[in-house]
Amino acid sequence: MEKFAKAFPSRSLRVKTSKPWALAGVVGSGNLEVLLERGGRQSDAMECHVETSIPGYKASWLAALADFARNYPAGGTKVTINDQGAPPVLVNLRLRQAYDHLTKGGK
Amino acid sequence: MTGGVLFHEQTARQRLDAITDQGSFVEFLPPPERLTSPYLAQLGIPVSLDDGVVIGRARIDGKKVYLAAQVGQFVGGAVGEIHGAKLTGLFKAASRDGVPCVVIVESGGVRLHEGSAGEIAIAETMRAIFECRARKVPTIAVIGTDIGAYGGMGILSTCCDFRVMTEHGRLGISGPIVIEKWMGKKAYDSSNRALVWKTSGGKTKYLLGDADALVHDAAGAVREAIGKLLTRSSPVTLKNAKARQKDLEKRLKRFGKTADPDDLWKSLGVRDIARASLASGPEFVTLARAGRK
Repeated sequence: MEKFAKAFPSRSLRVKTSKPWALAGVVGSGNLEVLLERGGRQSDAMECHVETSIPGYKASWLAALADFARNYPAGGTKVTINDQGAPPVLVNLRLRQAYDHLTKGGK
Repeated sequence: MTGGVLFHEQTARQRLDAITDQGSFVEFLPPPERLTSPYLAQLGIPVSLDDGVVIGRARIDGKKVYLAAQVGQFVGGAVGEIHGAKLTGLFKAASRDGVPCVVIVESGGVRLHEGSAGEIAIAETMRAIFECRARKVPTIAVIGTDIGAYGGMGILSTCCDFRVMTEHGRLGISGPIVIEKWMGKKAYDSSNRALVWKTSGGKTKYLLGDADALVHDAAGAVREAIGKLLTRSSPVTLKNAKARQKDLEKRLKRFGKTADPDDLWKSLGVRDIARASLASGPEFVTLARAGRK
């Protein structure tokens, strides 16, 4: 297991829905769960907490998360990830799904 | 066939949304509460923020219900201490408030990583189910997912007043692979899907009376079946328990030596095995009823 946390600069989340959180994915083999919540510590950063069963890929994780924070206005959110060996492309997909659920609704 | 996503293809939260009145589902102890398994964390296995079960309240046709849905993709929907405590609490609340309780089962039983804690959790949930039944609060198990209901969750399902199954669902104690390991491949070939479904699948369970409704693999059909059962309960009395014991003894006598599940189907009134095998849940019910006449 490897665990780390980091905040990435991101434009502030503008959408005003009443939904406080959204979940995407499930902790299964080659998959992960992403919980996206409002109420991060800083309004200009996406705060990330990652726990993964596969150690040694921190650099890839940080790159994928930084990428997402740059492409989506997610400032003021908190991301919690429980991972069981998902490939980077799936990490990006789940982040986008959680983001869509938070900003547009749906499950 | 109805269009759209099949019940067994949906996620736990999608299922709950689909079988309840629109927007009425409110989750208890949702993922932001971070109630995760301390055992898995100690073993270095990734945890899940809901510990593999979603619980909450909602309305079905305007009636208040408590609901749970297991997440089969997380350690096979297996019941750990937290997971089990969520189920126990839900059924206890149902009994206290007199609100019917529905559990969508997708689990192979106890989470072996958590040993006794998981076993005890399932036993406590069963006790809470019997508290509901003593107070005539309806309890319903829905079995229609890939994993089915096996082990402790198979037993727990049969503790409820009623079981709603789809043709996709399976109900049993030992799973197919476990049976094969113990009895040998000649006695039970777990890769023979027809055999597996004909011994533990929804159709056979409906014929035997273990499932109270056999419906199409769609959320709408599941919801309709639940709606019909929400106002009924099946009392637990000594007389009923004794009658049930007699029934099971008779069943063992009648089918204990039956090697081919088709023979069981035939003697329970299914005339056209090939047609019944391909039939959907509701079609099968019609065929079975016609055969009984």
